[in-house]
Amino acid sequence: MESRVLRPVLAIYSSIFLLFLYGPMIVLAILSFQSVDGGPQFPIREWSTYWYQHLLGLTETSRVSQLPVGDSLIRSIVLAFMTTVVSTVLGVMSAEAFRIKFKGSGPAFYLIILGMMVPGVLVGLGMALLSNTIGIGRAWWGTSFVLHVVYTYPFAFLVMLAIFNRFDRTVEEAALSLGVSPAQTFRRVTFPIIFPGVLSAMLFSFTLSYDEFSRTLFTAGRDLTLPLSIYGTFSVEIYPNIFAFGVLTTLFSFTLLVVYGLLMKRFTSKAARFKGQEDG
Amino acid sequence: MLTLSRVSRRYGETIALDGVDFVVPENTYMSLLGASGAGKTTLLRLIAGFEEPDQGEISINGERIDGQPTHLRDIGFVFQNFALFPHLTVAQNVAFGLRYRTNAPLTNETEIKDRTEEALELVGLTGFGHRAVSAISGGQRQRVALARTLICEPRIVLLDEPLGALDANLRSRMCDELKAIRERLGVSFLHVTGSETEALTMGDKVAVLANGRIMQTDAPDTLFSHPGNADAARHLNAWNIFDASLCRTSALDGMIAVRFDQMDVSAAGTGPADRPTLAAKYLTGEFNGPTALSFFRADDGTLFQIVDHLSQPRLPDLVEGQRYDLHFPPQALRQFHGAA
Repeated sequence: MESRVLRPVLAIYSSIFLLFLYGPMIVLAILSFQSVDGGPQFPIREWSTYWYQHLLGLTETSRVSQLPVGDSLIRSIVLAFMTTVVSTVLGVMSAEAFRIKFKGSGPAFYLIILGMMVPGVLVGLGMALLSNTIGIGRAWWGTSFVLHVVYTYPFAFLVMLAIFNRFDRTVEEAALSLGVSPAQTFRRVTFPIIFPGVLSAMLFSFTLSYDEFSRTLFTAGRDLTLPLSIYGTFSVEIYPNIFAFGVLTTLFSFTLLVVYGLLMKRFTSKAARFKGQEDG
Repeated sequence: MLTLSRVSRRYGETIALDGVDFVVPENTYMSLLGASGAGKTTLLRLIAGFEEPDQGEISINGERIDGQPTHLRDIGFVFQNFALFPHLTVAQNVAFGLRYRTNAPLTNETEIKDRTEEALELVGLTGFGHRAVSAISGGQRQRVALARTLICEPRIVLLDEPLGALDANLRSRMCDELKAIRERLGVSFLHVTGSETEALTMGDKVAVLANGRIMQTDAPDTLFSHPGNADAARHLNAWNIFDASLCRTSALDGMIAVRFDQMDVSAAGTGPADRPTLAAKYLTGEFNGPTALSFFRADDGTLFQIVDHLSQPRLPDLVEGQRYDLHFPPQALRQFHGAA
């Protein structure tokens, strides 16, 4: 009786919520197909892919200068990749360390977590001041990179901590009792089993670093990353080529998600088999 | 030969093992019987090297192994939950040790394959090699765990309640097979269990662990008929242990024990004069197939159990709540010295 009313209401509510969530993106995507002489608003004068061509430099020279994103896109991807590798490695290692209670593990835990809690503007500014004081040049691959790791490492750490919480220690002990060294045990047993978690940690680190703004703003130096250079174009005038670019990067993110999903599916089917082991 | 001398292990305030002296001879099936929480698993983990003792020495053939890392000890361990590698097939599980061990790993694939098949044959799993470990039953997983351990030819195999996760039918079959496999290989097994039947069935020798110490080590029949102390007797689940002063006619004192099947029951006041007799109230009976168990409570609260065999009934008809005389032949009792 209750569910007959409740279910449709909840369904409608959820749909509206999702629409609200994705509304801005949908508007952006529609406007990206504006014609040459149209502005960044409705109505659409004529549907075209002009701004996509413009973005890729395929059009004749126009009054609108090309979006200066090429180099910064590559910088952002490289930076996100570096951050992913370092944060994930650190995250796995420290989560492994936290499997055993050690002296000072409490404070150490909170110090790690602090990296994602403190406001980015503050850390960024602090890093800028510090690098000026000790005479280190600011660069996206130096000062920014360090802050990206400080920011994303706690996420990777927390993901791995959750994974190790459910990890059955006896399989490692079994490997050791078979005469296999701890290093080989990690490589042949632990890592394959925690791999889905490692993937999640990587995804977190990558996406967080890829669109990180405030920490980068103060520390990137002369060469800008993607979020910074997009922000920079806003100060001039907005054309639909930014929307076109937004659609393309969203597609890129979706590709990442799909790859992640496929890999997860492959590995969690094995993990599910693992769960079945207890009920013999 | 595995030797433990004065091995102690503490967890904070609780003492798990308190100076254990214990020897597992060559080519022996040794059962270790203990109640849950008695420190059985701790003892195995110390031997395997997953944990280190606070005090004492552990050695194999005179070579000290405590302090050595687990993977260099050359000791097999079969886990209660089997601990198979979930991401590998049955054959890969079995071959794991041969392939990746630190000491003399095998690289020749044909040799690995042959040895794996040999091991699978030993445990009766020929043809199961390609299966995923999730696609086999509990009993089969147990065999895979065993094959995986035995293929490395360890100096001794530790089994931590290996039959605990199996159902009753499978358990008795695995009992026989474990014994047979051990005899074929000639390696020592140390089998830890909380079940006295399992311990007595399996072991060439049975050790009783209680209060953090080994209370007695003996052949199963000797242990069963001549427990050396009240703790050992209590673990056998076949002895009534009580204060001798309960008996009307005897001049004994201290703690004495009489086996469940050696006590007789008569109506109150009619106990034979030449036998130690005590009065107790009949509580209830429990029928479990070939035997029936009757429960009595004596005046000081001690619980008595008496076994009656279906084919040779020797108890009178009992009425719940009535008082009866319990008596036994004087030679049936065992007397223990010191505190129980």
